[in-house]
Amino acid sequence: MEITSSQAQFTSLLDNATLSRLERLRLNPRRRLTNRSRGEHHAGKGGTSTEFVDYRDYSPGDDVRYVDWNIFSRLERPFVKLYRHEEEMHVVLLVDASTSMQFDGKFDRARQLAAAFGLMGLMNVERVSAYSCNHQGQEPVFLSPCTGRISRKRLFDFLETIPGGGEFPIEQAVEAVLRRHRGRGIAVVLSDFLTFGDFDRAFNQLFSAGLEIFAVQILAPGELNPEVTGDLRFVDSENGHTLDVSSAGDLLGIYQEHRLALEEELGLACRQRNGRFLSISSRDPLDWVLFDLLRRKGWVR
Amino acid sequence: MTWPGFLAAGSAWLFLLLVPLIVFYFLKLKRPRMDIPSLALWRSVLADRRVNSPFQKFKRNLLLLLQLLLLVCLILAAMQPFWPSGAERVKNLPVLIDCSASMAALDKPGGISRLDEAKQRVGQLIDELLPDQRLSLISVSNTARRLTEFTENKRVLRDALEQLKVSQVPSRLEDALRMTQALARTVPVESVLLFTDGNVPSIVDFELPFQLNFQRLPSAGANLGITALNAQLADEKWEIFVRVESTKSAPGAAEVMLFKQGEKIGEESISLEPGQSQRLSFTMEASGPTAVEVRLKPDGFDALDSDNTAYLDLPLARPLTIFCPTELGSYRQALKGIKEVVVYPADEGGDTASSYDLVISDRKEDAELEAGTFVFVGVVPDDVQKLLRIEESAVQVVDWQRSTPLLQHVLLAEVQIADNPISAEGVQDKDYEELGYEILAQARSGPLVLRKDLPGKQMHYILFHTDRSTLPYRVGFPILVTNVIHIAERQAGLSEAVAQPTGVLPPRTLSPEKSYEIIGPDDRRQSARASTVGVLSGVGAPVIGRYSIRDSGQEVASVGVSLLGPSETSLVGIDQLQFREVSVAAAETILKNDRPLWPWFAGMGFGLLLVEWWYFQRRPAGMP
Repeated sequence: MEITSSQAQFTSLLDNATLSRLERLRLNPRRRLTNRSRGEHHAGKGGTSTEFVDYRDYSPGDDVRYVDWNIFSRLERPFVKLYRHEEEMHVVLLVDASTSMQFDGKFDRARQLAAAFGLMGLMNVERVSAYSCNHQGQEPVFLSPCTGRISRKRLFDFLETIPGGGEFPIEQAVEAVLRRHRGRGIAVVLSDFLTFGDFDRAFNQLFSAGLEIFAVQILAPGELNPEVTGDLRFVDSENGHTLDVSSAGDLLGIYQEHRLALEEELGLACRQRNGRFLSISSRDPLDWVLFDLLRRKGWVR
Repeated sequence: MTWPGFLAAGSAWLFLLLVPLIVFYFLKLKRPRMDIPSLALWRSVLADRRVNSPFQKFKRNLLLLLQLLLLVCLILAAMQPFWPSGAERVKNLPVLIDCSASMAALDKPGGISRLDEAKQRVGQLIDELLPDQRLSLISVSNTARRLTEFTENKRVLRDALEQLKVSQVPSRLEDALRMTQALARTVPVESVLLFTDGNVPSIVDFELPFQLNFQRLPSAGANLGITALNAQLADEKWEIFVRVESTKSAPGAAEVMLFKQGEKIGEESISLEPGQSQRLSFTMEASGPTAVEVRLKPDGFDALDSDNTAYLDLPLARPLTIFCPTELGSYRQALKGIKEVVVYPADEGGDTASSYDLVISDRKEDAELEAGTFVFVGVVPDDVQKLLRIEESAVQVVDWQRSTPLLQHVLLAEVQIADNPISAEGVQDKDYEELGYEILAQARSGPLVLRKDLPGKQMHYILFHTDRSTLPYRVGFPILVTNVIHIAERQAGLSEAVAQPTGVLPPRTLSPEKSYEIIGPDDRRQSARASTVGVLSGVGAPVIGRYSIRDSGQEVASVGVSLLGPSETSLVGIDQLQFREVSVAAAETILKNDRPLWPWFAGMGFGLLLVEWWYFQRRPAGMP
């Protein structure tokens, strides 16, 4: 699905039909990483919602209002009723806007997915913040945490105006974001993860910050199945470095092995931190990704 | 260890081209730039390949390597390398190729002939000819013919070799060797190559001035053939004798058929052991001039076809006509006892003939008569008169040639002779020989009987008159007369006929100084002119069959020639040639020549070109 510019559309990133379908979806994190502030996500511990969870022995100091008197009258022992606590979850959207993402619709697809994940968060009364990383050494462009349906326009405007280009490595971008971010929840990282650095450290930092990693690797068709042959000089789009390759056609087999190994490594790193990982092509249909793939993978429900 | 040599080693300077090739390769190597999102994956890919591929650096510049190899191959080809055979290399090499009849023999049913085998070997020699080597092809049969000059032009050599055909004649090496000797005077010739099946005379009357490489071809298969065909007239019937021989390699069976004017009149089956011969005889009525053909039809494989047919021309059977003056009563008396002769003039005198087969006379002027054989009694030829004189004194025969046809079985010892020929002082036998005379009988002081051959004539001179000797009273006198009759019959061709071999047509008396056209069995036409006395001779007949002699399109005579070579039919190959002073054995190994290697290098260069093209144009691995 291409980004549309029709005046009737709520946003150019997603059409209205997709938006309406997305509003009915909720993010499905593996862990209940929530904030103290009240929200729509049930906290792991007891709370004050109307949803009963369990009983426990009364301890001195407990609020006597939660004692179940019916039980007490039958057993002559006080038991306290426990209710599920509903807390707010923070959804952090991190969009890799470096030059490497400017190929073959990767950046557009990243913004669309960010809009989709953000919308799901807003529609479920979560706090949603967004970050865009461009140039190394510069602070990320960010959207302050917002919540509620009313923030939709703000989120979409932010995503639509993210500048493209730059050489910010994704692992350093994560560190830069975490320096500013506060709150537990989900970190949706949208990048191609083609970096020379070590993303393990960045994932550890996300995990330590109480953010469940939702990593989406977006690759262009030319990166999934490159059609190269003969002697070539590859030029890195971010730093302009060159690499001479002879008989490139012979290396495609090894290239695929390395690409799949990177994918496997990313997936393993996410799983080890109770996160999720997904690799898609920038040419995969957006509806299929949002309403089929993510559902089947259990990312949304 | 043998190392390859180079004929054009000067071309090695071309190796300098490697320098600009390498320089230009790196200067001109401009890789197409391709922007990609990140080098991260490709760097790890290259790092992985460097670890896993020990020849990575080699493969990295594979294009340069292929181009270098291609250039090296082309330079090596230009340097014209060759692999030395070990033998001394010759620059001018005459190649003698035997084309005699036996070279047409096949080795097996459906096999190849000896000449084809020789052609293959010579063709290989031409293929491996080095640029500084020149060949001259010479065909050898009963004579020699130079097919090419000394040339390195392979096309010319191949064309000449292709046109080489078998001549159905026996082989003689002398002419070819003399021709080669003559060639050696113009260009240096150190070695001569001879390809033959070995079916040549083992003794060669030639003094070798060069080295002869005798390459004997493999032996041919079994063969049956006609080796002799002749006829004798007896009681107005021709008795025809045919000799059939077989090779030593295998027994043979065949049918022998006799054709008279194209009509089969006789047939016999024969069976021969290996190396055996058999003589067959057929009888046929004598009539006019008759063309006889004998065909041999072998039952099994027969290596040589050309000896399976033989031709014989039988003359008209008639009495011998003799002129003998009545004064020579002793001779006329002796002639009376001989059948089938007509003596002129008759006893009662009278008629004479326009021509005779035999003239026996004591008159010098009778030499003007037209006849084939003359016997003069008591007549001294004019050109001999200056060498001797005749004295009236008794003399006896000292010696005579007992094997000569005239004096065969004639005992001249103790014959008293009243005419004594005395050679002039200082005259020796060689003086008579220089005049063309052969001394058949000799007295103490001079010759008694002389013989001289003239074109179409045989002249015999008995220098003493037999009437003034005791010879007519001796037993040998009628034998002498009978010998004269036999000589005359043979000269006239009346009593016997012999099949003519290939090579040259037998001399034939026709109209003097007239041109004739001769059409051979292979439709080859040639013209020849009769001599002043009307003898047509020297007409080549290399192919068996009938030759038609024509005058203005009208056939005036027909002559059949046949192979009739026992040595050719036997297909025996000798292993050694005996020259005057040295002998040459057949080479045990096939001739080795320096092998040119440039085609291999050129081929490798082409192969490298193909590999380079394929390598860089093939579908990349890993592509869906």
